[in-house]
Amino acid sequence: MYAYPFSYHRAKSLAEASKLLQQLGDESRVLAGGQSLIPLMKMRLARPSALIDINFVPGLADIQSPNGELRFGALARHADIEVSEAAAAIPILNDCAAGIADVQVRNQGTIGGSLAEADPSGDWGATLLTLETSVQCTGPQGERSIALEEFIKDAYTTVLAHDELVREIIVKRPPKSSGGAYLAFKRSAPVYATVSAAVQLTLDGKDICKDVRIVLGCVGLTAIRAKQAEAELHGKKVDGKTIQRAAEAAREAAEPQSDMRGSADYKRALVAALVKRAIGTAVRRARGERVEAGHEYVGR
Amino acid sequence: MATTLRTKTKKAKAPAASGPAKWVGQPIRRKEEDRLVRGKGIFVDDQKLTGMLHIRFVRSSYGHAKIVKVDVSKAAALPGVVCTLTGAEVKGMVKPFIEIGPDVGQKIADYPMAVDKVTFQGDPVAAVVAETRMIAEDAAELVEVEYEPLPPILSAEEALKDETLVHPEMGTNRNWHGVFEYGNVEKAFKQAAHVVHIGRLHFHRFSSTPLENNAMIAVWDSRSERIEYWSNNSFPSFAAQFLSPALGVGIDQILMKSFDIGGGFGIKITNYPYMAVCALASRKTGGLPVKWAETRTEHMQASAHGNERTFFGTRVALDKNGVITAIDSRHVDDCGAYPRYEPLGCVIWAQVLPAAYRVKNVRIDMNQVVTNKCPVGPNRGYSRMQQLWFMERVLDICGHTLGISIDEMRLRNYIRKDEMPYTTPNGCVYDSGDYAGMLALGKKLIGWDDWKKKQAAARKDGRWIGIGIGSTLDSGTNNFGQARIINNFAPFSGQSKAAIAKLDIYGEVVVSMGSVPQGQGHETTAAQVVADVLGISPDLVRVKPGFDTEQNAYTGHTGTYASQFAVAGLSAIHGAAVKLRKEMARLAAWALKAKEKDLEFGIGAQGPEVRDKRTKKSINYWGLANLVNVNNAGMPENLWDVTLNCRHVYHAPFQIPDTKRKYGNLTLTYAAQIHIAVVEVDRETFQPKILAYACVDDCGRTINPRIVEGQVHGCTAHGIGAALMENCAYDSDGNMLASTFSDYTPITAVNMPDLLYGHMESPSPFSYNGAKGMGEGGAAPVHTVCAGLQDALYSSGVIIDDSHNTGDSIFHALQRASSGGFAIMVRVEHPRASR
Repeated sequence: MYAYPFSYHRAKSLAEASKLLQQLGDESRVLAGGQSLIPLMKMRLARPSALIDINFVPGLADIQSPNGELRFGALARHADIEVSEAAAAIPILNDCAAGIADVQVRNQGTIGGSLAEADPSGDWGATLLTLETSVQCTGPQGERSIALEEFIKDAYTTVLAHDELVREIIVKRPPKSSGGAYLAFKRSAPVYATVSAAVQLTLDGKDICKDVRIVLGCVGLTAIRAKQAEAELHGKKVDGKTIQRAAEAAREAAEPQSDMRGSADYKRALVAALVKRAIGTAVRRARGERVEAGHEYVGR
Repeated sequence: MATTLRTKTKKAKAPAASGPAKWVGQPIRRKEEDRLVRGKGIFVDDQKLTGMLHIRFVRSSYGHAKIVKVDVSKAAALPGVVCTLTGAEVKGMVKPFIEIGPDVGQKIADYPMAVDKVTFQGDPVAAVVAETRMIAEDAAELVEVEYEPLPPILSAEEALKDETLVHPEMGTNRNWHGVFEYGNVEKAFKQAAHVVHIGRLHFHRFSSTPLENNAMIAVWDSRSERIEYWSNNSFPSFAAQFLSPALGVGIDQILMKSFDIGGGFGIKITNYPYMAVCALASRKTGGLPVKWAETRTEHMQASAHGNERTFFGTRVALDKNGVITAIDSRHVDDCGAYPRYEPLGCVIWAQVLPAAYRVKNVRIDMNQVVTNKCPVGPNRGYSRMQQLWFMERVLDICGHTLGISIDEMRLRNYIRKDEMPYTTPNGCVYDSGDYAGMLALGKKLIGWDDWKKKQAAARKDGRWIGIGIGSTLDSGTNNFGQARIINNFAPFSGQSKAAIAKLDIYGEVVVSMGSVPQGQGHETTAAQVVADVLGISPDLVRVKPGFDTEQNAYTGHTGTYASQFAVAGLSAIHGAAVKLRKEMARLAAWALKAKEKDLEFGIGAQGPEVRDKRTKKSINYWGLANLVNVNNAGMPENLWDVTLNCRHVYHAPFQIPDTKRKYGNLTLTYAAQIHIAVVEVDRETFQPKILAYACVDDCGRTINPRIVEGQVHGCTAHGIGAALMENCAYDSDGNMLASTFSDYTPITAVNMPDLLYGHMESPSPFSYNGAKGMGEGGAAPVHTVCAGLQDALYSSGVIIDDSHNTGDSIFHALQRASSGGFAIMVRVEHPRASR
């Protein structure tokens, strides 16, 4: 369990990190929280020639909430987000952050690293796609802002150039009458979810759905926006029937593969169940109720 | 019906010369805890010896393949690599390991590394030895191996066909076969009111995932021609018996040592093939120490798994009241690629042949096959849990089918308290126990009646809630004579443990026990026993844990396995302490000019002492030790035999079983676990949830209730993990699918229900202290959780036919049920009604 030999470089700024990435070439990698990269290196499934550590770049872990926005520095740790005011205001963020892996991973793992890793089973991708999210990136050509939908291209693949880094994740605050929920079913704490479902919806005073996003995790090469499921709710009254139709549409939208977490057809059943529940929780939260939700585990 | 022979087992008498029980029975904190929680434990991988080298194995990526070529030249050329080993090379250095099984089993050539072909994924084909672990890892990647894949055998059914052979030299995949038949099975079926036929049942493969993987250091000293091991093997005297003929060295030239071990649960018993390779590597390097510290992936792929067992064509005869009168079934055990400790599992299950039930007529046709999976090793609850799970499934399926509630079904079939000691149809003697009483306590703990009402209400709402009972026996202190039922020529029998209690030369009480604790708290319970014998406190007793050929006490049975320390281990320690007390009394009587009968043991102003009740004169331990070791002029000749260094060997009162009839007492004590689980299956996610869980244990007199309760918690977690999460699954190509914790998902705290704990004491008449071993817990939750699922889903037409159940498997079971799966699985006849 020893990584292949690599050189280690500590960047003092993102500009320096970008320069180092250029100098050290294609086999160099950025080290943020390291919760995916280090295990992969120890198992020799990843063999970077060089690591560029950005953990010492000042100010990169800040969480701020200026007007109508939430700004997460790339190095904001899951554990910090879990207890942030931002997450208190937007419950879906707490659902996600509080259940990522285990305490050790949450203390070290970062939101920027998670998005840049673009693991199909990652929690943040599915969660943040239900909100207006953009990724602020920095590279030799300067800064650019990329909508999250555009940022993740494929499994483990983003639009980032080799010498480009994530600086910040900006999330637009949803309106007051909006509610969301992220539900993930995991077998045990430290493992990736079998299926996850994220829903954010906005209601008018009569439970008519004015806006909705439904995103599925772990059941495709990237998180999947279940647009047909959204259409089942959009402009309609959210009740048992429409929720059931949306859940069925989500089941169809999933493209799961069979593995140790479950067979493909079971995962589809789980998608329907989680989407149904996530909509239910999102509706109650949109009405202003406080509801506990998040990760569920085998056994309890 | 032939009269049943009662096996004679002598009742144990407590020796007279022993103080009152002050410490035994107390929940004192563990002596070893301080060292362990502060990170001061001494584990194999912490040891760094001068000149020490590191070995890394190159392992097969195939489950079954011919080895065409192994090229180690690039690895050997890497700077820092000291030597390499290949299977072909190893073959020239050793003899194959001995096989316990008779006949075809004797034909297996089990070398410590694969020679001509690989038989499971992870099978070691080559090894590199280097100056650092990192270099070894780099070098291992440079070894080039060419394979020619063969079709893998991955199930009992496939193995039985004998179309592809795992070991062609065997001529079959059937490693062992025997029929265990007692009473008059056919007559019972003829007279039955109901006969229930049950289709294929399957007990899955799982392991124990100890925190510390296998680890060892070997030094083959060319000067002394001795091999010194520091390892975490949990049955070193057994390993030495395998290593000695294979390596061609006398067994007295193999020195074994162990200290702290981070869990074992039995599966470290079979790490001796790696011990052989490490010794050969040390020899090849001219006697330098060679360390191997297994990685988790290696551990999951290639250390040892628990036995997998499939049950075919089960027939159950019952009378009109639902009392089971006969069972007839065919069981096929899968031991993986090499038998190693097997085929002992083919008899060990028979320690609990009728489980907790009174059934007299039993016929079980037992087969064991080899397959292209990781070899098995004794895994906590070893071989008995498969039988207990089978019997519990039988009880539940019959109860549900006949409309008898599962608690009533058990009460009608349980062996009763007033029948104890109870002789089973195959001659085992259940020493004591009150299963009905335990069930009553469990029901009270969990609130049975209340849950029954909740269950009925929830069913009306369409919820799937089930209440399950698991009745489990933890048979402890095994009789190795049962190996004769497997192989009549097996040169071992009985059970023994040794201990040394001494007063060291400056008066310190030191106990060495040779057991190999892996978290069981032996240092504490040993100190409690000795403290009571000498009238002192446990903190004044220094206990040397672990195996040490040169320094600690041992016999050929010494190790920590088969739930026996509280009986065999403590009996040896108690015996040694009593001998020491007698010597101390003789010595003190002379020193104090007193009569032995007037002496009392205790703690005085100058520490532990022996005093004359009449004169109040006393001598402390330092003084006593001084008389023998330092200041002994003038000692009378009749005291010259006093050494203050007393060894005692405990022999369990066993006979060799009748091998033809497969009849005899196979274990000394039977601890029991009755668990109750309330389980809900979510109608949308199909995920099982445990709503309430109660465990009641009875292990006779407890030495330390805190340690007992800890064991119950650990066993319960292990069993719930096995029932719902952990599975050593293989795909159809023979790839082990759970080689990391992400895939194997060992149970974590978030998966655990809160446990309600209850305890009863039915003292064993066969141990001096009334205790029973209880370390294995018999996988109680596996039976219990399955029973709960069965209760939840019976009305939906699901028969729980596997010991491993997930949301996924329940989802598919419900789909099968809706297409008539139930009818295929269970069929009922009423022979007497038809007449």
